[in-house]
Amino acid sequence: MTYYLTTILVYAAVDILACLAISLQFGVSGIVNFSFIIFQAAGAYTAGVLSLPSDTENGGFQTYILGLHLSFPLPWIGATLVGALLAIPIGLVALRRLRSDYQAIAMLVLSVIASLVVTNTPAFLDGAAGLSLVPQPLSDKFNPYSEGYLWAYTAGALVLAVIVFFIAQRVINSPYGRSLRAMRENEMAANALGKNAVALKMTVFILGGAIAGLSGAILIGFITTWAPSTWLYPETLILFAAVIVGGRGNNFGAVLGALLVPVGFEEATRYLPPIGPPGLIPALEWVCIGGLILGFLWFRPRGVLPERRRVFAARRTAVAGGELHAGRD
Amino acid sequence: MSLIVAAFGFGLVSMSIIAISAVGFTMQFGITNMINLAYGQVMIASAYAAYAVNNAGVSIWLSLPVAAVFGAVFSFLLNRLVYAPFQRKGTNLIGMVIISLAVSLVIANVMLPIAGYYSVSYHQNPGPTYHLGSIALTGEQLAIIGVAVVVMLAIHALLRFTRLGKAMRATAANATLARNCGIPTARVIDLAWLITGALCGIAGAVAGMNSDSFSVASGSEFLIPIIAASILGGAGSPYGAMIGAVIIGEMTEISAAIISPEYKQVVAFAVLVLVMVLRPQGLLAKRGALAAAG
Repeated sequence: MTYYLTTILVYAAVDILACLAISLQFGVSGIVNFSFIIFQAAGAYTAGVLSLPSDTENGGFQTYILGLHLSFPLPWIGATLVGALLAIPIGLVALRRLRSDYQAIAMLVLSVIASLVVTNTPAFLDGAAGLSLVPQPLSDKFNPYSEGYLWAYTAGALVLAVIVFFIAQRVINSPYGRSLRAMRENEMAANALGKNAVALKMTVFILGGAIAGLSGAILIGFITTWAPSTWLYPETLILFAAVIVGGRGNNFGAVLGALLVPVGFEEATRYLPPIGPPGLIPALEWVCIGGLILGFLWFRPRGVLPERRRVFAARRTAVAGGELHAGRD
Repeated sequence: MSLIVAAFGFGLVSMSIIAISAVGFTMQFGITNMINLAYGQVMIASAYAAYAVNNAGVSIWLSLPVAAVFGAVFSFLLNRLVYAPFQRKGTNLIGMVIISLAVSLVIANVMLPIAGYYSVSYHQNPGPTYHLGSIALTGEQLAIIGVAVVVMLAIHALLRFTRLGKAMRATAANATLARNCGIPTARVIDLAWLITGALCGIAGAVAGMNSDSFSVASGSEFLIPIIAASILGGAGSPYGAMIGAVIIGEMTEISAAIISPEYKQVVAFAVLVLVMVLRPQGLLAKRGALAAAG
């Protein structure tokens, strides 16, 4: 029972982090990062190879680079940094000159290619088999299978999710967040007002990459394995479904979406009786994710908790008549 | 050296398949302003439709029209039932990309329980092998090249010499203006989806014929060279897509011979990145999305 509850909660924390990052990129800034999952994967792999001992130990049944065997906070910090660093070259290629729909397909293709490369290069990150037996954080000091450890890990993951939530809140309520929204609504107008759209996109892309990297580190530290099959491109689409359902551009919406879609779906299907041939239920699950995106974009494109409409308080009396129009899109 | 020449021969087959599919993909984008990421899944669905007929004992060449009709009807319905309503609602470009990816996910996973989880292959007779120097191609592969040449000439004739083609080019250049000039753009767009869908279906079937086996998962693999060729040539330009197909087809096969077949897609992707950095508008700069070459 402890194991079941802590697993759900750690997954919830990881999905909340991921959805907050996607909400910042897609909801607030209008960047469709279809390669989001590779940032999470980069974080997880980094945390893995930083905390694993050299690959000749353990009987050498897996091959990977580095294997530095660093102690706890370093792998997670490294994962966050790698997530952020990875965003720089990708952002520089994709976000500078391309039209927004080109950006999206470029990143989608990148996501497919990255998993192909990792799968076909066993010496890099152990290919299709992936990393396993990754030591849990501080497992040399505590017993990682004790109830206390599981709960402490869960608490740590949730605290990090809360911290990132407050950072995301600060971002969207700051002048910086206002610039991001201005860019999303009308990039040319934002440029004309002296906002550097490329710099705005790059910073939010890097911030999202860092959050994604951290979420990957938290996940691999808990489940101790990571392989290409866990980060195929449709996984990104689940997170997009979550943010669209919850309400893009609204951090509370991102949290709600994370709890409803990735976490809720996993739990709901766990209790279904095994009907049909094996693989039928996962296939139907994917159909539902796709249907959820289409349904919400049709019936409620702003999600369950829509982004708050921002109006300037001081002007409220002056344009009382105009507000009827301001209230509409 | 002879290895590279042989790879050049396989490149001819590859480029034929990519050309058929990329021209359809890029015309959808040019005429309807829709990057249809479900294209690969429609290809694979059509390939399975041909497989069903082929498995019932019909020759693969007679199954090819079945794939074409299936792809045409499927694409037409996809637009009528999903894409067009969303576009009428005013969904922006990015929203449409997300929608098409969601559709692709739905198609793939509806297909899985129906088509099965295992790879299948057509019952086919590749025919005798013909040699020209180190190039060795089967009769079937030569026929695929022939199909591609016929399809390309047909598209060229359609766009250049028919009223429908002219109407398509006008719709691509400026749909509102075309409508105001009395061109029934709604019907033109319907026909465009039927034609590009047929290309998609044919491409799916010939891609299935040329590979040892295919499965539902092949859909997203098909899409990468298609996207690379379309963007390389200049998205929306059918002639650009043909040039893109030639370059991507040859580069992937020759690199497969030199480096390793596993990295075919990576090479296609590297070309894509280079184009995006150096010349995002593609080789043929966009003069009206479907302007005739020359």
